[in-house]
Amino acid sequence: MEVLIQQYPWLDELLMGFLGLSWKHVVMWAISAVLIYLAVIKDYEPALLLPIGFGAILANIPHSSAVSKIVGEEGFLWVLYQGGIANELFPVLIFVAIGAMCDFTPLIQRPSVMLFAAAAQFGIFATAVMATFLGFSFEHAASIGIIGAADGPTTIYVASRYAVELLGPLSVAAYSYMSLVPVIQPPVIYAITTSEERKIKMGYEDQEPVSRTTKFLFPVMIVLIAGMVAPISVALIGSLMFGNILKESGVVENLSNAAQGELANLVTLLLGITIGGTMAAERFLTVEVGLIMALGAVAFVFDTVGGVMFAKLMNLFSAKKINPMIGACGISAFPMSGRVIAKMALKEDPSNFIIQHAIGVNVAGQVASVVAGGLVLALIPALLK
Amino acid sequence: MQETTIKALTMMGVALPTMFGVILVFIFATKALHKAFPAPAEGEEDED
Repeated sequence: MEVLIQQYPWLDELLMGFLGLSWKHVVMWAISAVLIYLAVIKDYEPALLLPIGFGAILANIPHSSAVSKIVGEEGFLWVLYQGGIANELFPVLIFVAIGAMCDFTPLIQRPSVMLFAAAAQFGIFATAVMATFLGFSFEHAASIGIIGAADGPTTIYVASRYAVELLGPLSVAAYSYMSLVPVIQPPVIYAITTSEERKIKMGYEDQEPVSRTTKFLFPVMIVLIAGMVAPISVALIGSLMFGNILKESGVVENLSNAAQGELANLVTLLLGITIGGTMAAERFLTVEVGLIMALGAVAFVFDTVGGVMFAKLMNLFSAKKINPMIGACGISAFPMSGRVIAKMALKEDPSNFIIQHAIGVNVAGQVASVVAGGLVLALIPALLK
Repeated sequence: MQETTIKALTMMGVALPTMFGVILVFIFATKALHKAFPAPAEGEEDED
């Protein structure tokens, strides 16, 4: 073949794709196909898994121009990576969109549910400890733990700072497991709760309506408190709450709609395909990535255990019993986790409607995951000194 | 124990209590906010 190429140099141009192909590329095509299958057939986070799967195909064609890093011939996925991920722009824009979609009313009506959300962040830290046992460096272990926030943008934000080489697998793990909440959480909850506990009914008697002024001031208050505690988290919590204030102000409906619609769709599309573009075979097909995928599942299990056990602990001291299952909704996978737990309660007792409580805890999970992300961002450099 | 594990445990030991502290401040501040600006009674106009 080499003789032929020397004799006919143009053959090299025509055959470079075939000549550069290895089994690793083919395996990555299969992984891409699985992601696309999950998105299209199973409807698991399709807005992200479909672009990620397709981006991974583009990144795993030998000599792909889409991911070229050659100066003057940069591929569009590399340009998007530099312009949206390396500088943390896309996750922040996604947070503006999420904020505009969030309704914090159930959280304001019953702020104590934020405690469950704090407990459900346990998975982040327990998984980080486990990752160090498996040989990961501290900053990589902390970035792996953040999968347990069940919050894609926070995962990407932290990874782009402290584990840029693991960005692809960390993002895939975060979004895949978020979509697998209905598969992961129920067996864990069944294992650590009794049937009687799952049947506990919760009332709605002390829930007063929330004024527009309160809804408007709530995001400002959260930004000020979280920002003072961990200034490094201001970009994350600030963008989330900026989106929310657009919505709650009631005076910029067009901007709020744009954030919820066009901005959310456009950035999701670009974010997904750019992450897919980072999934080159040589980076993805490693033992390290296999461990990350396993640790991601562990993080979600620990989150669920943390939230449920905290609710059970509160029941020991509280006269009004809480259905411990709502503790599991303290993760950021919204509204999936809330719905899953509400369905489980109905399955246990068809007259037990805990959806509002579950959604309240789930909304709190959105805030708590960003606070946890901010604390991790602040503590990684502090502990590396 | 490895140094990385000690750092991860330290992170957990610092972050989790801080997190609960911040959340408690959120809870008190949210309750105060909700109390300071109650929703208008039925039939009344909202404050805007």
